[in-house]
Amino acid sequence: MKRPAQLLLSGAWQYVLLLLLGLAVLPHLFNIERGITLFFLALLLYRALAVSRPGLIPARLPLFLLTLGGVANVLLHYPILFGREAGVALLVSMLALKLVEMRVRRDVYILVFIGYFVLITQFLYNEAGWLVLYVAALVILLTALLVDSQRVKSRFNPLPSLATSGLMLLQAIPVTIALFLFFPRFNSPLWYLGSERSQAVTGISGEISPGSISGLSRSSEVAFRVDFGAATPPAAQRYWRGPVFWDTDGSSWSAARESADERGPPPVLTASETAEPLSYHVTMEPSSERWIYALELPLLTPPGARLTADFQLLRNSAPERRLRYRMRSLTDYHTGALTSHERERGLRLPDNITPRMVELVQSWRRSSRSDAELVLNALDHFRRQEFYYTLYPPLLGENPADQFLFESRRGFCEHYATSFTLLMRIAGIPTRLVGGYQGGEINPLGDYLIVRQSDAHAWVEIWLPESGWQRVDPTAAVAPERIERPLDPASIADVIGAPIRFIELDAGLFSDLLRRLRWGADALNASWHRWVLGYSRERQHYLMRLLGLGFLHGPKLGYAMIVITGLTVAAVALILLRRNRERPDPVLRHYRAFCRRLARLGIERVPSEGPKAFADRVIAQRPDLTASVAAISGLYIGIRYGRLDNAKNRARFTLLVRRFRP
Amino acid sequence: MSDALEKLVVEAGKVILGKESVIRLAIACLLARGHLLIEDLPGVGKTTLAHLLAKLLGLHYQRIQFTSDLLPADIIGNSIYNRNEGCFDFHPGPVFSQLVLADEINRATPKAQSALLEAMEEQQVTIEGKSYPLPQPFFVIATQNPAHQIGTFPLPESQLDRFLMRLELGYPDAKSERLLLSGEDRRSLLQQIEPCLELQQLAELQRQADAVYLSPAILDYCQQLLAFSRNNPRFHRGLSPRAGLALLRSAKAWALLSGRRQLLPEDLQAVLPATVAHRLHASADTSGSEGAQLAQYLLESVAVA
Repeated sequence: MKRPAQLLLSGAWQYVLLLLLGLAVLPHLFNIERGITLFFLALLLYRALAVSRPGLIPARLPLFLLTLGGVANVLLHYPILFGREAGVALLVSMLALKLVEMRVRRDVYILVFIGYFVLITQFLYNEAGWLVLYVAALVILLTALLVDSQRVKSRFNPLPSLATSGLMLLQAIPVTIALFLFFPRFNSPLWYLGSERSQAVTGISGEISPGSISGLSRSSEVAFRVDFGAATPPAAQRYWRGPVFWDTDGSSWSAARESADERGPPPVLTASETAEPLSYHVTMEPSSERWIYALELPLLTPPGARLTADFQLLRNSAPERRLRYRMRSLTDYHTGALTSHERERGLRLPDNITPRMVELVQSWRRSSRSDAELVLNALDHFRRQEFYYTLYPPLLGENPADQFLFESRRGFCEHYATSFTLLMRIAGIPTRLVGGYQGGEINPLGDYLIVRQSDAHAWVEIWLPESGWQRVDPTAAVAPERIERPLDPASIADVIGAPIRFIELDAGLFSDLLRRLRWGADALNASWHRWVLGYSRERQHYLMRLLGLGFLHGPKLGYAMIVITGLTVAAVALILLRRNRERPDPVLRHYRAFCRRLARLGIERVPSEGPKAFADRVIAQRPDLTASVAAISGLYIGIRYGRLDNAKNRARFTLLVRRFRP
Repeated sequence: MSDALEKLVVEAGKVILGKESVIRLAIACLLARGHLLIEDLPGVGKTTLAHLLAKLLGLHYQRIQFTSDLLPADIIGNSIYNRNEGCFDFHPGPVFSQLVLADEINRATPKAQSALLEAMEEQQVTIEGKSYPLPQPFFVIATQNPAHQIGTFPLPESQLDRFLMRLELGYPDAKSERLLLSGEDRRSLLQQIEPCLELQQLAELQRQADAVYLSPAILDYCQQLLAFSRNNPRFHRGLSPRAGLALLRSAKAWALLSGRRQLLPEDLQAVLPATVAHRLHASADTSGSEGAQLAQYLLESVAVA
């Protein structure tokens, strides 16, 4: 008869195994080269065919050649076998080869374990909450398969195995939580391999040209989330300030690469008496740029960042991982005097200023008595003339500002902001372009603000002697809705070319439901990041201090964990062992002591020897002990095998054995 | 009462020399209301022992010599037409007696064997739709030659199971054999044997054997013996619950015979080989003769707690 380990699974379970392993690899298919993907899929499919035709399973030689082919395939795509992609590619290829080789149940065990390993590697690419659920579900299913493969019967009935596997995972949860809380944290994951994360992350870049922000506005990716402790400020005040642009070549604007002499202390803000700073927390998604965002104007400098003279918050390096920081902002402020350097930069004009632009500014200057009035005139111009706010502006040529102002008159915020900046500079008002995000969506489920890439915005800051640097948003002049309501990327697809449509907040049950679903998903994701991925070394230390274990940190915590884990495992093992061994009757214990004492005299009781036979043997060997041995054995037999089991006899028996000192 | 039992043993020992433990086991078997199978080579005293027990217990006994042409009717009897009264009269066969000696039971065909074995199980005989109860007490002492001799029909396992004990006599030791050779003829000795027990006395003894006390500890031990036989790979098949009951019944009778009113592990151990050997098969057994070794292995492997 064959043992279960020598038999293969039933056909149904083989298909399940193939499906599960395919699902385990599935997210990787986008992470690795197509050649590897094809290799895996081809072998998976071949093995699926071989389930009903076992003759298709290749013999040793073809298998050897296939293995060589697989290795060559990996080497072809990853000539130096180093790094995350190469490792995953190798793993996936080996999984495929092992699949083809699957003959006996032992191969199934190996395949399931490779499957677990593949699942773990998913976290090298993604740490999202849904992936955790996906991986957990696959782990339960694979474990169920493993459980079922231990059974001899061949009927396909996965429920009992699923229940066992689910139960095992449930039992593992407390351990997981304990290890999560107390295992020493690293500031980056163990498997963090360095530079591989710096892939293109969408976001505001260090350069603004017509079309760069409208491109972003189609992305519903989250830029950052904000927790306001108390009240959330109204949408029109939520300008999240990012890079500041001073310099232009006439078509694109680049963020200030400030020189060393500017690295002074940030300018002092003077606030009115009534001004109340806003406090909030920002959780920022990874970004490829160094700016971090705050409401204008920031008062705090998070660790690892500094505040520049033009109120940019610059990190020392781009945040490659999710970043959470506390922030305070003052919305009512005066930035003080203008330095000569700022005045010079704020008035610098590119070469391609056209006469009709100058003419336009001069017409405003003529009709206004002050700079402030000129600004209002300019905003009025945008409002009264035929300007259209659109997500799909026409392509502009060499001189986008001129073309936009006088010809196309269709544009997105960056068109308005860049042209406005130039016009203000022509009028002699120091002006700078600011990039960032505007508004954001309040998630009522988590009571926090989601700011998406589609909220990317550009606006202008002008310097007026009476108010210092002040924000002016020419887009608001054209489409005040842009400031009042968030842009809905979902509605964009069908309105190419048409003026932008904004979310109607009461737009029917379906879209309401959709929005709620999106809020719910985002709230889940945000909590996942906040409570699980964001559990940093510092937070762990904080928790340990709360528990009064502040002295345990770093390696000490590691040693403590090892000791505690060891003790726990030993304790559990002991309990399990104890549970299987019933506590012997005290009479039996005393009788064993009696036997041990006799054993010391050289008369050992054979385990299968009955008490009477033993007593007879002892008396035969040591007639001098007849009285005590007969009394003890007789009483023992009476208590244990006869009807003499009562407290009095037990006490007497104990006494007799205690007194028995041969 | 134990005096009567002692006398029984002593008297039997006068005829069957040097086999006291076998005699005690045989008496225990009868006290436990069990049927007895004696298996050994011809000429070691099987038939004499059966005869002796019948005489000592004062039971009405008949002997059936099993041969290959024996028919069921030869055992249980048959109906014969009565011409005077115009009806069938039932003429009971030799099975209608208190002690039946079935000599060389494995010489008969399975058909004849099963006629006796059914009577043993049911304690009654059914002929032509009419049931006739067998007398009480009803014992069967069967003898057989070792199964591998030529011209035998070995009893199947299920029928072996109906015998409470299987005993082997073996050759006598040197001293006993000398005595035997020099002594009187066994047959004439048997003639002189007087019954030691009345029927009521036998029934009373059987009742007392049933009443022997079983403590939880001894039940545990018994159960461990059974469980060991089921879990150990050397055993082809474990002991059945019926085997367990048989073991306890024999052990109780043995305890009574030893003058005890409670069961000790020693009692179980004393009757275990005789009670279970014919019910056990080793995993790698082809001859069916390893039961005794297995029983010994079982005894030595299970610890008395």
